[in-house]
Amino acid sequence: MTNGWVDIKNTDMMLIMGGNPAENHPCGFKWVVEAKKTRNAKLVVVDPRFQRTASQADLFCQIRAGTDIAFLGGLLNYAIQNNRYNKDYVSNYTNAAFIVKKGFKLPEDGLFSGYDPAGMKYDVSTWNYEEGGNVTGTAAAAIAAGDGPATSDSASAAATPVSMKAQANGPKGAEGQGHQAGGPVGVAGKVGAAPAPPALPPNIAYDMSLEHPRCVFQLMKKQYSRYTPEMVESITGIPKEQCIKAWDMYTSVRKDGDMKKVGTIIYSVGWTQHTFGSQIIRTAAMAQLLLGNAGRAGGGVNALRGHSNIQGATDLAGVFDILPGYLKVPVPADTDLKTFLTRTTPKAAKPKEWDSFNYWSGTPRFMVSFLKAMYGDAAKKENDFAFHYLPKIDKKFSWVEQWDNMYTGKVKGLISFGMNGVAIGPNSKKNIEALKKADFLVVCDIYPEETSSFWESPGITKEDQANIKTEVYRLPGAGFAEKDGTFVNSARWLQWKWAAVPTPGDAKVDQEILARIFLKVRELYQKEGGKFPDAILNASWAYTNPNNPSLTEVAKEINGKALADVKDEKQTPPEWKAGQQLPGFAWLRDDGTTSCGNWLYCGSWPESGSNTQRRDNADPSGLGIHPNWGWSWPMNRRVMYNRASCDLNGKPWDPTRKQVWWNEAAQKWVGNDVPDFKPDSKPADHMGPFIMTPEGVARLFVPLAGMADGPFPEHYEPIESPCDNPLHPAHSNSPVIKRYKTELDKYGTAKDFNIVCTTYRLTEHYHYWTKNNPMSVQLQPEPFVEIPVELADELGLKGGEKVKVSSARSTYYAKAMVTRRIKPMTIAGKKTYQVGIPIHWGYKGLDDGRPEAERTPANLLSPTVTDPNAYTPEFKGFLVKIEKA
Amino acid sequence: MSSNVVVRHGTDLRGDEIVRYTLKERMCHWLAGLSYLYLLATGLALFTPYLYWIAYVLGGGPTIRFWHPWVGLIFAFSVLWMHSMWASDMKTTREDLEWRKGVKAYVTNHDHLVPPAGHFNSGQKQFYWIMYYGGLTLLVTGLIMWFPELLSNGGGRGLHWLLPVIVIVHSAAALITIGGFIIHVYMGVFFVAGGFQGILWGHVPAAWVKAHHRLWYEKVIREDRSRTSSTSFKQGADD
Amino acid sequence: MSNGLMEIKAISGHRGGTPGQGVSRDYDVCKLVDTTTCIGCKACEVACLEWNGYEFRDTTFDNTYQTMPDTAWNFWNLIRFNEVDNGDGTVSWLMRKDQCMHCEDPGCLAACPADGAIVQYRNGIVDFNQANCIGCQYCVTGCPFNIPKFNNVTKKVYKCTLCSDRVGAGLEPACIKSCPTGCLHFGSKEDMLALANQRAAQIRENTSHKNAGVYDPEGVGGTHVIYVLHDKDKAEQYGGLPQDPSVPFFVKMWKGPLKWLGGIAMGLGVAAVFGHYVRYGPKPVDEDVEQGRLK
Repeated sequence: MTNGWVDIKNTDMMLIMGGNPAENHPCGFKWVVEAKKTRNAKLVVVDPRFQRTASQADLFCQIRAGTDIAFLGGLLNYAIQNNRYNKDYVSNYTNAAFIVKKGFKLPEDGLFSGYDPAGMKYDVSTWNYEEGGNVTGTAAAAIAAGDGPATSDSASAAATPVSMKAQANGPKGAEGQGHQAGGPVGVAGKVGAAPAPPALPPNIAYDMSLEHPRCVFQLMKKQYSRYTPEMVESITGIPKEQCIKAWDMYTSVRKDGDMKKVGTIIYSVGWTQHTFGSQIIRTAAMAQLLLGNAGRAGGGVNALRGHSNIQGATDLAGVFDILPGYLKVPVPADTDLKTFLTRTTPKAAKPKEWDSFNYWSGTPRFMVSFLKAMYGDAAKKENDFAFHYLPKIDKKFSWVEQWDNMYTGKVKGLISFGMNGVAIGPNSKKNIEALKKADFLVVCDIYPEETSSFWESPGITKEDQANIKTEVYRLPGAGFAEKDGTFVNSARWLQWKWAAVPTPGDAKVDQEILARIFLKVRELYQKEGGKFPDAILNASWAYTNPNNPSLTEVAKEINGKALADVKDEKQTPPEWKAGQQLPGFAWLRDDGTTSCGNWLYCGSWPESGSNTQRRDNADPSGLGIHPNWGWSWPMNRRVMYNRASCDLNGKPWDPTRKQVWWNEAAQKWVGNDVPDFKPDSKPADHMGPFIMTPEGVARLFVPLAGMADGPFPEHYEPIESPCDNPLHPAHSNSPVIKRYKTELDKYGTAKDFNIVCTTYRLTEHYHYWTKNNPMSVQLQPEPFVEIPVELADELGLKGGEKVKVSSARSTYYAKAMVTRRIKPMTIAGKKTYQVGIPIHWGYKGLDDGRPEAERTPANLLSPTVTDPNAYTPEFKGFLVKIEKA
Repeated sequence: MSSNVVVRHGTDLRGDEIVRYTLKERMCHWLAGLSYLYLLATGLALFTPYLYWIAYVLGGGPTIRFWHPWVGLIFAFSVLWMHSMWASDMKTTREDLEWRKGVKAYVTNHDHLVPPAGHFNSGQKQFYWIMYYGGLTLLVTGLIMWFPELLSNGGGRGLHWLLPVIVIVHSAAALITIGGFIIHVYMGVFFVAGGFQGILWGHVPAAWVKAHHRLWYEKVIREDRSRTSSTSFKQGADD
Repeated sequence: MSNGLMEIKAISGHRGGTPGQGVSRDYDVCKLVDTTTCIGCKACEVACLEWNGYEFRDTTFDNTYQTMPDTAWNFWNLIRFNEVDNGDGTVSWLMRKDQCMHCEDPGCLAACPADGAIVQYRNGIVDFNQANCIGCQYCVTGCPFNIPKFNNVTKKVYKCTLCSDRVGAGLEPACIKSCPTGCLHFGSKEDMLALANQRAAQIRENTSHKNAGVYDPEGVGGTHVIYVLHDKDKAEQYGGLPQDPSVPFFVKMWKGPLKWLGGIAMGLGVAAVFGHYVRYGPKPVDEDVEQGRLK
């Protein structure tokens, strides 16, 4: 979340889409209710089903799963057409005024400029700004010169050869950076033997009138002018009157550009789990930027995390290509630390007259401090701070890729902690088959679950079992209430929790299990040497009890400390002694005098003690900031980019919601929240409020390799879709999506599978755990499929009868829930049905009355295919057919 | 009954005593009477808070609620048993119609104006039928009240709305029997001397029979002459 | 909230004065269920089971999100899920927390013959005391909301106590404690009514629900559980909430006039025979009869 749970209460307008917080985040949903009750805030819900959240909505639209970009594109179009934006905000706080390079082409035909059909990827050299500073007033001349964006023919022809060449060598260049905190984007171009990657120009051309035909604003306007109400209706299935009603309602907060009101967008994995998931979220971000809702109390783009600590997992290297704190994982071309840092540290790129904080310029300080935390004394200046101990990735190692590698025999074993790989899918059948081929499997869990019982999956025979050679180990893990440590919630709050009960029986806390494995491996390296023992032997492991490190020690290590005395006259106090905990990442050094496990968490456990254990619920401002409750990254800021809550002069847009402001007397930024800004940057300096980008402003247009699939979001169909893309049938799906090639990776078409299917969770259950808990089982006893009444009538199906749901990959059995809460839709002129499947069941857990062979996990149905930026599988919106069983 | 049972209605014992009720009849009567008393007491306890103290005397609310239906079954059994013995005796005869004309004289103790009665007078017969039909009504309604959950269908309440109607019918039936019962006890214990003795010991003085049940007395005399009596009182009592 | 609230106000099947009467009372308690903010998360169902120590039970999928068709003797708090077709192509999904309404004029208490089996506290809580319950189930009939449920094994009837044990100790009921959205409120009847009316007015003024209102039915003298409904005239669509509940007619007749008539009839009967005995005395004893001789 850019904002936070409590902050939702400050809003005037909510758009909940791709998420069902009333279902999956009932506690957090209280703030939605609070906003409705105390501010008369309106709630627009857009979802494939009328679900629990919809029951609270002022307006509900039933959307076809996977068409969110079309709906949001329509919203952008509506806002632009109806003057629902504030020009000051848009032209000064976003890159709307920046001029895009000649040759950049919008995807009228489904392709941006630079597409390489052979490599199925883009050359991004035209996805850049033009050099040249202020060109305001030249728009008319530009138009006269026919200086618009490229047309389809000219651009693609021009760009293709370049990309082919770039492709020849080294790792894939245009890979995305779609992770939460951004990352040093715009510089992660080609590596290896390829020529120097394109960079952002140092003095970006811009037109404050927003009229230049190649300025971002005009391009965006043109891009989304194609998303007419009629087109959106045809794609999403939402009648256009309803679309317009929803767009009007949501954008009404910015009527005639008035900045008083604020709207928030709330989403969850209903957006991420698509082959264009990152782009859906981008569209939402664009909407919030256009409407001036980003950085403001009651605004923002708010991801609701699906587990209690998913945010923490992501912050600490949850994905294969990031290190803790969203630092990049090195690639083979990073021959030394300097090369790596040059590649990953962005340079400020902005109009000359403007200023940019460019926060990622601190990358060297964060990286060296991280290396010191990893390798301690073994990380020395002489050995590049042990940079070479870090693994360097030469290809994608995403979750789906790893299981594919196991299936094809490249990965020989799996240690599975905190996940139930078979059940979480996608394509559970392939995952089961992959495990059959592995040499060993280690699972740490609190129940015997589907993964460690893959050899008992439905349909397996005695002979099959005899042929499985995989050695399976189950480790007794500890439940959440049996361990201490921090949870990082959706609002980025680190909150310490204390163990409520001791671990039962032989169960062990995670860190003990991991520590013992690590120490055993290290022992083996010590004895036997091995290919590259240094990284293991020299890893810092300075815990009081090496076999079971206390999480207090780990948390302090992550926060970071001074290794030598460090001084900074501008700070109070101006010095920290060697061995003291550091109070914030401003203190981190790139000379090896500080260590820090994750720069984002620096400040969570300073010398004064753990901030994560603070429980003061005072809220002096009434804005739900609660500054002394727990601690949120970065630096306890509750609303990110909060400089944008003020106008150009540093005065809050809405005086009743004062977050931060410029104090002229003190010549600095002050406020109820911690200013997310350079504290002494005068408004006149025109420093951009979005300090994590090199530009200093937010990106409506994402230049260069920021996104693998285009600088602007474009609607593409899910890999399995009931129709051709009405925008461009020739390029129905995203052109950069990789389809897997094994015999178990089948993709269905509308001819054989005519029903759109989406998957989701229920309030009553928690993932694949609570099917073991009689209480939860009592509340929702059996798996079901939600089926529209009209479809049930066609099938002659009554509620409670058994159905068989098949996709191109496998079959799922459950009972029919015949409901009016899903209605038939008209998609591209054709009647289309949509069904929904809750994911919670499988072949383990309490007996749910089904025969063994029908205790199927829902992800048997979903396809192996992922988003190109974040590698999230497409669990929402694939095709199935339904029969009576 | 075997034909050589010698002590029976009307058997003249030692010349001046007549067997009015056999042991079996008396057992049946007292089974009915005592069970009725229990049902009356517990029923009244449940009928009105003013008499709920009876419940405490008899072991508490849940206890009497447990036993009331079981005792009700005993009562119903005794009523049916009694019916098997007395049903034919309780048929209304021409003489009963006559007797009824003298009922005012009967209650005001002008017995000489009362037409003669048989083994049971018409008042007794009426009481009998009140108890018989009342008992059956109480049985049927009582059975439903025993298991009101049977009125529910699954989770819903189904026919539960009928329960108060049934309870009202049960109460009304009980009230009617109580009316009869009050008169019965009053007559048997206080009003008609000797009646209580008859139902207690089974035999009454012949003169008492002659005074209160003249028609039956005459029948007894007639029948007695037509057969030989060799039965001792003792034997009769042991029957 | 003090224990003083737990003074007894009326007792079923009890004669004479009520113990503890006349002691000053603090205020009536009331639970407010704002159905417009209920998301049907069932936290209250679980909290109720856990606080009251009931076992989990087997349930069966029944084409609904609702845990089971009805409340049960050991499941007092049930969210009723109702898909409502609005007739204009839209649907509503109404969720209502069903539990004892704690009527001001409780039909269960009126119907109950067992001394002390049902107790109405001064604060408005209507509580069952199973030690005194005789299992006659008249309360089931007397309740217009179908709340009391019979346990076939213990032969007793059970229902929501409004957590009288917690309230007596100054705590809010378990369901209130567990509610994540603030849909449930607990306080004095006065405060809850004010809050409910304020919320209903807000809904009328700011949403499309122009007939929102408060459910506090007069037919049972008002209730100590009140609802805010999207449409106060469509209570039935919330899973059979009676629009205008009252104690059933037959129960009222039976417990009222008929009881008195019966009592009077019995009294008159006894009086009549007594009067007869006084006036006429026993039948004159014939000497012959006395002496056992025939005339």
